[in-house]
Amino acid sequence: MKPRAELFKKILVANRGEIAVRVIRACRELGIRSVAVYSEADRASLHCQMADEAVLIGPAPSLESYLNMDRIIEAARRTGSQAIHPGYGFLAENSDFCRRCEKEGIVFIGPNSAALELVGDKVRARQAMEKAGVPIIPGMKSVAAGLEECVGQARKIGYPVMVKASAGGGGKGMRIVCGEDELRPALEAGQREAKSAFGDDSVYLEKYIEEPRHVEFQVLADNAGHTVHLFERECSIQRRHQKIIEESPSPALDPELRAKMGETARKVMMTARYNNAGTVEFLLDKDRRFYFLEVNARLQVEHPVTEMVTGVDLVQQQIRIASGQTLELRQEELRQRGHALECRIYAEDPASQFLPSPGRILYLKEPRGPGIRHDCGIYSGWEVPIHYDPILAKLIVWAEDREAACRRMLAALDDYVLLGISTPIPFLKDVIRHPVFREGKATTGFIKAHMDGWAEAAKDGEKLRLALAAAAYLASDQKPVYRPEAAGAGAGEAYSPWKTLGRWRLGE
Amino acid sequence: MEFEFLIDKQKDKITVETGKGVFRVVGPDGTQDLDIQRISDNCLSLLAGGRSHQVFFARDKGRLLLWVDGEQFLVQEPTNEAGGGRRAEEGAREGLWRIAAPMPGKVIKFSVAEGDKVRKNQTLAVVEAMKMENELKSPGDGTVKKIYAAAGDMVDTSKPLLEIESGSI
Repeated sequence: MKPRAELFKKILVANRGEIAVRVIRACRELGIRSVAVYSEADRASLHCQMADEAVLIGPAPSLESYLNMDRIIEAARRTGSQAIHPGYGFLAENSDFCRRCEKEGIVFIGPNSAALELVGDKVRARQAMEKAGVPIIPGMKSVAAGLEECVGQARKIGYPVMVKASAGGGGKGMRIVCGEDELRPALEAGQREAKSAFGDDSVYLEKYIEEPRHVEFQVLADNAGHTVHLFERECSIQRRHQKIIEESPSPALDPELRAKMGETARKVMMTARYNNAGTVEFLLDKDRRFYFLEVNARLQVEHPVTEMVTGVDLVQQQIRIASGQTLELRQEELRQRGHALECRIYAEDPASQFLPSPGRILYLKEPRGPGIRHDCGIYSGWEVPIHYDPILAKLIVWAEDREAACRRMLAALDDYVLLGISTPIPFLKDVIRHPVFREGKATTGFIKAHMDGWAEAAKDGEKLRLALAAAAYLASDQKPVYRPEAAGAGAGEAYSPWKTLGRWRLGE
Repeated sequence: MEFEFLIDKQKDKITVETGKGVFRVVGPDGTQDLDIQRISDNCLSLLAGGRSHQVFFARDKGRLLLWVDGEQFLVQEPTNEAGGGRRAEEGAREGLWRIAAPMPGKVIKFSVAEGDKVRKNQTLAVVEAMKMENELKSPGDGTVKKIYAAAGDMVDTSKPLLEIESGSI
């Protein structure tokens, strides 16, 4: 037997927050040194504290720090890092960065640049996949040349149609068009948005699939082309085209459809000559027909649900593959066991259109218990910066079946204490309690159809009374509490916890 | 002792008797003794008639945040009425709207200047936080009286960004 390729000695993690922490943990377990990069706004962040080394790469704005290729490459060279893990977002799917790494002799922990380029171009990817016999959403196979062509194409496809950006992703440049009179403004708006988001205004038309489910397949491929899929994740619970709850297995698939979609996902990746970890996204329509949507050429936010049901550590596999090791997983040996759910904990206020809520985390108590995992980039006392994506943490549970996983998730959310900033925890509880979700019937329209105008239910009267009693107790509690800063200054003075709150109005 | 609080922005009162290790809540229908144990700087354990309740708390700038068995409560001083950003509607009574950012963030741009006439729902400014842009709209017809910030400024929700004098235009 051939000896396995040696693992890297040191990896630079070109990201921040919970995903950087996740990668650093994987490095530790593999005995690899980790290098964090951080912006001026992130000196106190968890990833910076946890890594073996940390390099300042610039000011707070992402463009000058986490998106600054020169500084990141320089940091990798200076620290002697052999590889860069890009996490998700930032430079993860940037083929220029991937090529820069290849040229510099630093291993990019992700796909090769040619595969990344192919799957990053939606129109080219559609063409390649159709040729390979992968079902794609009916629509144009090339970029729209002008309005006349689009009018003709839209008639052929049949309304409603969707305007999509060729370089697209994340809902940018996307428009639904229900009739011919809406086509021109939608095309113009789509082009404008695509131009400003991706620097490329190419758009094309596709059939709009109504009430679809979003089902994606996790794939791993080694550098020699050995490719396996690790089953699906269902991510239909989305707001603003952004996922908030994910699960595996999908309640919509049976073993036959799962096998068919899984094989198709492998075919997609092999067609693209893809290596490392990636995800093939599909839309599943009402009649259980599935269509190739796109490839996410990175580790996904929701990767933990796959890890929970398959028992495979995807980040460690990514690192092994990038080091040149052969993927030892065999498709026929992979199993999905039990059920996993993930809830994303964002810094946002679900009661006011999910507006971001940056600020200081005054207290955090993570939920604990069997089958509970918390991938987290935050801690008590940390100020959540306003410059970056609002994802704070992910709560993942595993249980024997879907219903048990739902119950475990509800119990874990009930046990999750995060004081200081708004989070969608009460909203997430209501989604999981919702009968449509509970029966496994939710489509991507779920939030709009069932949770629109959501407000937190009236609080429990008994808990309100206890809260009042606790507030009164804390107000009347004169016991000195040891505080280091108080011990130095006003020596001997009893600390009243209420001093900071000014005076309370006391009746009688 | 009677305590008055704003709890979730609603005024509420509670009467308690303390001393000799007992914490007694006095209500209209009788009294209830609570056994309250301070667990840590952020945690209390409450036993009420044998039922156990967990309470977590944290304080910040005139706010007490309480978590009781999975539900959160915001406690403020009764005098601290608005508790943070003044709501736009409140100013309208004096014919003046003071408009604050809906979230802490960075001002991307002002779409109006002092002296401009604005219509209801017209965009006044764009504030960005966490990669999300949010447009501030005019709550009614009027004139931009004062602008307190400039594009590029970091702002929070406590201070107004601009003032609109209401009136037909």
